[in-house]
Formats: sequence, structure tokens, C-alpha cells
Amino acid sequence: MNNKRILLVGDNPFHGISHLSQERAIARGKNLADPEYAAGLVKTALDNGADGFMFSVSEKTLFIAKLACAGRPPNSVKLYAIVPYVFEFVRMAVTEGGIPGLAKKVGNEIVFSANFGSIFEGIKGIIANDPVNLLRAYLLYEESRIRVAAGKSGVLVSLFTHEVLTDMALALNMEWLFREHIDLMIKRKIKPGFHTHNLPFLVSRFKEWQIDCRKLAFTTQYNSLGFGMCPSREEAEAVLKEIPETEVIAYGILASGYLKLPQAIEYIKSNPQLKVVVVGVSKEQQAKESFKIIKEKL
Amino acid sequence: MKTKVAIVGLGKMGLMHASVMAMFNDVEIAAICEKNAFIRKFGKKAIPAIDIVENLEALLGRNLDALCITTPPASHYTIIKAALEKGLAKHIFTEKPLAVNFPQAKELCELAKKYGGVNMVGYHRRFSVTFLKAKELLDTGAIGKLISFKGHAYSADFLGAKTAKAAIGRGGVIEDSGCHVIDIALWTLGDMKVTGAEVKSIIGGGSEDEASLQVVTDGDLKGELNASWCKEGYRLPDMSLTVIGDNGYLSVNEDMVQLTTKDGKSNTWYKHDLNDTVPFSIGGNEYQRQDALFVKGVREGVKVEPDFRTAAKVHQLVDQANMFTRSLNE
Repeated sequence: MNNKRILLVGDNPFHGISHLSQERAIARGKNLADPEYAAGLVKTALDNGADGFMFSVSEKTLFIAKLACAGRPPNSVKLYAIVPYVFEFVRMAVTEGGIPGLAKKVGNEIVFSANFGSIFEGIKGIIANDPVNLLRAYLLYEESRIRVAAGKSGVLVSLFTHEVLTDMALALNMEWLFREHIDLMIKRKIKPGFHTHNLPFLVSRFKEWQIDCRKLAFTTQYNSLGFGMCPSREEAEAVLKEIPETEVIAYGILASGYLKLPQAIEYIKSNPQLKVVVVGVSKEQQAKESFKIIKEKL
Repeated sequence: MKTKVAIVGLGKMGLMHASVMAMFNDVEIAAICEKNAFIRKFGKKAIPAIDIVENLEALLGRNLDALCITTPPASHYTIIKAALEKGLAKHIFTEKPLAVNFPQAKELCELAKKYGGVNMVGYHRRFSVTFLKAKELLDTGAIGKLISFKGHAYSADFLGAKTAKAAIGRGGVIEDSGCHVIDIALWTLGDMKVTGAEVKSIIGGGSEDEASLQVVTDGDLKGELNASWCKEGYRLPDMSLTVIGDNGYLSVNEDMVQLTTKDGKSNTWYKHDLNDTVPFSIGGNEYQRQDALFVKGVREGVKVEPDFRTAAKVHQLVDQANMFTRSLNE
């Protein structure tokens, strides 16, 4: 019986992403681009052993979350959300006239969201030119969007900063960003999360900054190939021993489809600290079988 | 002693290069230069560890070793010229493309030669493990004598765009994403010239959204290079090159290299098979490898590729393509 591990459906296939092959992602067809089809896959996965949904926050994934949660018992779907949805932001920065254009667009969205806490922080941030207030405004805005989509059935367990933001802030010594995210999330009763490609470095920097990792969640790639594990598989595994009480969420366990499910399961079994596992699905059959098998074997 | 680098431009590429280089033990990010007052003020508070200044003059007297230029392409020529002539830094890294046309690029090559120093242009795809593997296979004659090739650079950046303003602001698709596939073709197959070109506007309003170039190398190898930023299904930009030889064919993109030889044998190398690891990963491992090579070149005083001269060749082809399309329109 699985009494320890939490299984989540991941959203990468719904964005047309395959890190094994872009051709494969395109060949998967338009079905996955349809949020109703994607929500159907999440529902199937939830019916067959998945405990929740992990996603980068966008209009599309919020709609998927809303459809997938609808009609389920209260607080029954665990939601793990990542912000910002960097690829969409980069695209917007390209099409909206760089970072000033992007800031204007996001600002408008916050204003029209009518989330007063967020608007208040945003105005303070603009007047004082203060990134702390602007970060709070943005996080509150995203939180409110997620809660609306989740309804009563979904529960926002953790909110993560996207890897690009996390890793950039690490490299540029932006200690304030980590502290603000942690403080705000704890106040909002959400587990503060950090999505990273560089977990060993993040942990060492948090130690240096005396940030307590125990109440946090980290998500990063873990697989037997060491693919996407930075700086090495050995170091990424070793760091787990330094943070035994931290929730570490493993994604990429199939190394984007390079590995087979039994290999991934064996690997997760050999790393008992990986208590939350994310798996992406692109077909109905896969959504039915993968989570059943993982639930049974882990 | 650390190599002192200043970043010019605090947009997404400026942040990315600052992050990558800040993680090198032998580099100090001495300053970031940003002319937009809002971004500058915000940046000063957000990144207190780094000095953020208003203009190039503020970088004078800081004993910089290198500049990393990440501003829009139209500004590269002026900034590089000013940086070299005023002695801001001896070594220059600039994001692609080097300039806006071949004459500007040629002038920058001459300036760089005059002032010495290491120069590099951010054609980062060369540092992707799959393209490195493809280059190795082609160089070792894995598919025999080359017969023809076809490449593309596709994205969905402007798919469904309502107005052409932003697309026009980035120049045309050939200059923007197309220059990557041109650079890869030049790198792997040698010097070439354009023999025909066609450009289409999808968004309208004068934008150049899809392009097709017919090219021939100095070795008489014929090929086709296509670019589009309105391609459905390409949420992530994709670049691909297929080369046919008399002993098989090779196909490469960001994800894999596939080699099929005449005897029916086929080999595929995914990124997973090609040791795609770096000490600190942000925005894609190829950026880390690229910036590390530039810094190594600066520290050791050795030339690195792709440099200004290489990037000027890309401009030469882009200008040739533009001449073809203009003559078709006249």
C-alpha cells in the first residue's frame, strides 16, 4: 500500500513539450492542445491513483485544473503550482516589447483581476519602485487565480517559483526573493516551493543564508540516467541526505520517455526521500495504467 | 585575479548571461548597464549585489576586461564601436546577430582586428550537445561525400499575432531566428552563397514571417534553409539540419542526432546519450558552455568561435537573401 508517496500528473505534454523529441511532441497531435482533452487525462489519472496535478500556471492549465477538479470531493485534489509560466512570459516579452511591455501587460491583468491585496501591493511596489511589493502582488494574484480554478475540490498545497527565476535569483544572490516568497506563502498557509535545476547549490546557499529548509518543498529532476541533474546525479542524490525533512518532488523520472516505467519505479524506490513523484501522460491508456502501476509498485 | 565583466542590457538575455557568468569562480560581474530608468531602479533593488548604471560612460575607468552586450540588435554596432574606441573593455561578447547588415558587421570585424582582444557572437546552438555531435560526425565523413542539405528554424513566437509591430521590431525572420540555422549550416558545411530567396508575410503589415533560402556552398553542395516564427506546434523553438551524403544521411535537432548509412544501419543519439551536463544550469546548458568558452578565451588570450568574422558571414548571406527578395518585389 502506498502510504507515503504522493503521485502527481504533470502538465508538460499539454504544452506540446517533449524533451526527448520535439517531433514527437508535434506528432502527438492537436488533442493535447485541447484543454478539455487534457483535463480528461488528468481526471482519468486521478481515478486511477494520482493524488493531484502539478502545473505551470497559465490560462490553459488553470482551465484544465478547473475541469479536472470539478465534481470531486472537497479538498481531494492536491495542486502543486509553478509561477511564473516562464515560456509564456518569454514569448510575451518578445511580442509585447521587452520587459517593460511584459510588466505593463501583467500589471493590467492584476488590476483587472480585482484582487485587492494584490492591487494594493502592486501600487505600493510601483510607487516605491520596490521589487518586494511587486513580487507579493504577483504571487497573490497567481494564488487567487489558482484558488478560483481549484474551487472546493482542489487544494493548493505548494506554490513554486519557476526554475528560471529560482536559479537566476540564486546566481545573482537575490536572497530577499527567497525570504519574501517563503514568508508570504507561510502566511497564506501554502508550502513555499522552489523549482530548480541546481538543487545541491540551492541547498548550500540556503544553509549559508540560514534559511530553514524543513518547511519548504523543492522540485527538480531525478532519474537513473542523471539526465537534467545538476551538477551530477551523485551530488543531486547526496543532497537529499542533508534535507531529510524537506519535501522533494521528483519530476523527469522517465527522462522525458527515454526510460521505461519499471526502471523509473526502481529508481524512485531506491531513493526513499523522493516522496512526491510527477509523471506526465499524453494518452488515455497511459493515464489509466501508469498511476495504477506506480501506486502498486512503490 | 577575476575577469571583470560588465553586462549591457538588463532584459531577459542580460539577466541570463549575468546569471551564468556570476556562477563562474573566475568572473566578477562588475556592473550592468541599463538605460531604461524604470528597469534600472527596479534592478538596483532586486539585484543589490551588482552595480547597475545608466550608460556606457559610467563604465569608464572600471578596468573592465570584457563587455557582454545583450541589447537589441540595432544597438550592437554603436555600442561595440564605442566600447572599443573608448577603451571600455578589450574583449567583447555580443548576442546575435552581430549587427543589422553586412557592411556594419564588416566594419566591426575591422575594428576588432585593430583593437585586438577576444570577440564572440552568441550563436549558442553550436554549443548544444546534439549539434556538436553532428559536427563531429560530418567532419569524420560519417555519411561520405555530401550531396545536399536542408535546414529550418521554426517557432510559434508570432503565431496568431494581431499586429505586425512587435515582429517588425525584431527585423525579419531571417535576421532573427533564421540566422541560427544559417550559422549552423556555415559551421558544419562551410562557406556558401544565396542563389534564391523568398519571404512571406503571415501577419501582414510589412512583417517578414516566413523565409526560404536556396544556397550553394563553395564546394558546390546545394541546400535549402527555411525559417518561420508563425509555425503551429512549435511552442519551443526548433532548429534542424538534414544532410544527405553518398553513404547515408544525418539529421540533427536540439533533441537528437540520427545517422543512417547506406547499409541500412541507423544510430540515434539523444541529448541523454551525450553527457549534457554543466556545473550550473540556467536557461539551457549551451549558454553555460558558450559563456565558459568566451571567458576561457579572455583569460588565456586565445581566439574563440563563433567570432565577429564568422557572424559577418551570416550577415553576408542574410543581405544576399534580402537582395533576392527585393529584386523579386520590384
